[in-house]
Amino acid sequence: MNNVGWFCTYTPIEILHAAGTCPIGIKSDSGAEHEDVVLGDSICSYVRSSMGGALTGAYDDLAGVVIAHSCECMRRLADGWLYRQEEIKPKMLHLLDVPKIVTNSSITFFANGLRRMKEDLEAQFGPISDDSLRASMTLFHKTRSLFNTIDALRKEDAPAITGTEVEKLIATSWEMPREAFNDHLEAFIDGKKDQVGNTDAPRIMVIGGPGNGSLIKTIESTGGLSVVEHMCTGLRAFTGNPVFNEDPYRELAALYLDGTPCPRMLGDKAREAICEIESMAKEYKVDGIIYYSMKFCANMQMQWALLKNDIPIDVPMKVLEGDISSEINAREVQSFIKRLKKRRKRNR
Amino acid sequence: MNREQMIKENTEQRKVQVENLLRVNGLEGIKPSDAVKMAFPKAFEDLSPSAKRGYLNTEQFFNAYNLDTNGESTYRHVAWRSLFVPTEIMYAMGLLPFTTEMVASQLAMTGAARERIETAEAHNFSGDLCSFMKAVAGGVIENIFPTPDILITSTHLCDPSAKYSELAAHTYKRPEFILDIPYGLYDLATSGSEKDLARVEEGVDYIYEQLQEMIAFITEHTGLTLESEKMRQVIQWTNEARTWLNEGNDTILAERTSARKGVRELDYAANVMQTWGTQRIVDVYKSRCKEYKANLDPKSDNTEPRITWFHLRPYFKTPLMTYLDEKIDISSSQVNFAFWEPLDPADPIRSIARRTALHPAFSSVTARTRMAINEVSDDIDGIIAYYPKSCRHFHGGSIMENEMFKKAGVPILTIDGDCIDDRGDDFPIVKTRVDRFLKSLKKNPRNTKR
Repeated sequence: MNNVGWFCTYTPIEILHAAGTCPIGIKSDSGAEHEDVVLGDSICSYVRSSMGGALTGAYDDLAGVVIAHSCECMRRLADGWLYRQEEIKPKMLHLLDVPKIVTNSSITFFANGLRRMKEDLEAQFGPISDDSLRASMTLFHKTRSLFNTIDALRKEDAPAITGTEVEKLIATSWEMPREAFNDHLEAFIDGKKDQVGNTDAPRIMVIGGPGNGSLIKTIESTGGLSVVEHMCTGLRAFTGNPVFNEDPYRELAALYLDGTPCPRMLGDKAREAICEIESMAKEYKVDGIIYYSMKFCANMQMQWALLKNDIPIDVPMKVLEGDISSEINAREVQSFIKRLKKRRKRNR
Repeated sequence: MNREQMIKENTEQRKVQVENLLRVNGLEGIKPSDAVKMAFPKAFEDLSPSAKRGYLNTEQFFNAYNLDTNGESTYRHVAWRSLFVPTEIMYAMGLLPFTTEMVASQLAMTGAARERIETAEAHNFSGDLCSFMKAVAGGVIENIFPTPDILITSTHLCDPSAKYSELAAHTYKRPEFILDIPYGLYDLATSGSEKDLARVEEGVDYIYEQLQEMIAFITEHTGLTLESEKMRQVIQWTNEARTWLNEGNDTILAERTSARKGVRELDYAANVMQTWGTQRIVDVYKSRCKEYKANLDPKSDNTEPRITWFHLRPYFKTPLMTYLDEKIDISSSQVNFAFWEPLDPADPIRSIARRTALHPAFSSVTARTRMAINEVSDDIDGIIAYYPKSCRHFHGGSIMENEMFKKAGVPILTIDGDCIDDRGDDFPIVKTRVDRFLKSLKKNPRNTKR
């Protein structure tokens, strides 16, 4: 089976699956950020890690990649990839333009883009029928539904599921064939039934983008419990309510544009993101928020300023700025969690 | 809030805001009407082309605070705007654009940007954010800008400016409209294939629909309407201005002129960004062109290297630009030209949509660099690119761009700087790089010049 890489959660990976390929999510640090000699130091570390990885063979087992034009840094990743294509093994590159607003016309525009992505994939991997796409959509909707079950369990007073476990599940979903992954997820949920977790740990909401592999581990090893991750490596990876449409591409376009919004989104969807964060803080009974902002990501940096300056969220918010691989200052996280514990005691 | 209430509230707020603006510029205690009169000591018609350019920008800036050049007060419907939102529809509807990036450059020119940036940084705006937007964010926090009636931003080319509009809309409690612009249509248009051209048309249609929605949005929130006769007039002014701008550009590219250009030449970029569709910009570009033509000097012993300038310049006070004025001849600028075909008065909205879709800078680095390589005149000695380090779009592509120009035999110097924030300005280091570059141009001239 051919593997096709994707970078951004606005990529409808059902189409990759329907093409008979295994979609591989490229989110973790390639370890080769420093090998990026193309993009320069004003670009975020996630993109530089991806570029460095491409130049040093980290993605050589992929038959191709889909780069979503989701922000200005991702735009430059596509540029760098094309510019050095001769040195990069995965030959297929599809650049998918993703609207930043959700309107009837933007959904139509995005659906047309998805059809073109399908054509590019067909040129490499053979025809994609509407039936096979529908079958893939059903399979991925099942994943969504299973993750929603997990999500519901995490809202309980003493959730038995940790953020570290969910992070691992999401990372697995990006590598494992989907059929096997759904079984894996069902088994995980079965194993958690009737279990009770820690009630003393402050409940944390983590907001961010691709995040940092050490962040949630640090939160949980210093006494906190991550109960919801408003991140690419969290909710954005599986949320969205599929609404049937005769045209599967339009259905996917609406589903992906309308999911848990990345700070890249603008207009009504951006305002919705802020409202969602406010309501989630209540829904998940959050004691505090950690906003992990990727350096050089203007969208996250702007959103955090808005949240800090203008949105009256009832719980404390700690902002950490860093890279995909930078060391997390455990003391800083621990002192925030201690503060939340004291606040919790006071409020009881 | 109904429209009357909004106008009343804006009027009151703008009175306070202009006083705040004067205060941060060291003019505390001066009556706004007097400050305006001081800013316009001469009539527009009596000015040099470059001074006319400045007059037009300053006039619009004060107008946004409801101040006329004679110190009187008139309410203006103001739209907060990001740099690449087309202006013609706004002018045709009687809406005054208030362009955030330009405001940041004005703050930098008056030495008032640094403190605004520090204000923003003290209020949770990250250090590595675009300094244009940090200066604006600081200004909003200090309440020195006029409360807009509405906000209109577009998604090309910069993320921060569209995203900041969301914050500004929240602060001012005014409605916001977003133009979502498809990426890479310029690349497709240059490929020439039927399939790609069909995609370009699809993108144009998508923008066209949004422009129609934008017109309805403006009407809904301001009561202003679009009259076809006014639109036709505005399009005519834009086309005339375009002709004069490009003719002026061609003149200085083809021939030496004794008219002093230098840094002033780069400042026309501000007008390129904000004033398409005004009657005055026709006059500005016409006078500029005439000035250059009147001062042609083919026998000039001027031997300074002829440079094409990329992106913008530092707007704060720095010896760099004065130094460059002495050492180089800025013969063309990447920003300061009209890349588009004349707009069609019979189908104005669609032709504005097409121009918006086909912005050459909203394309891949390889496409825009290839275009530049083809278009750099044989008579140009080299390129100086001045890129703010906080600009993901331009600075993020500069390594590839440099390599491509060098392969094509076009010398280029990229200066990693900042346009607004003077805190990292280090003239001696930049001067050393400039000197070395100019020396290398002399030692290794382009093939076209040997």
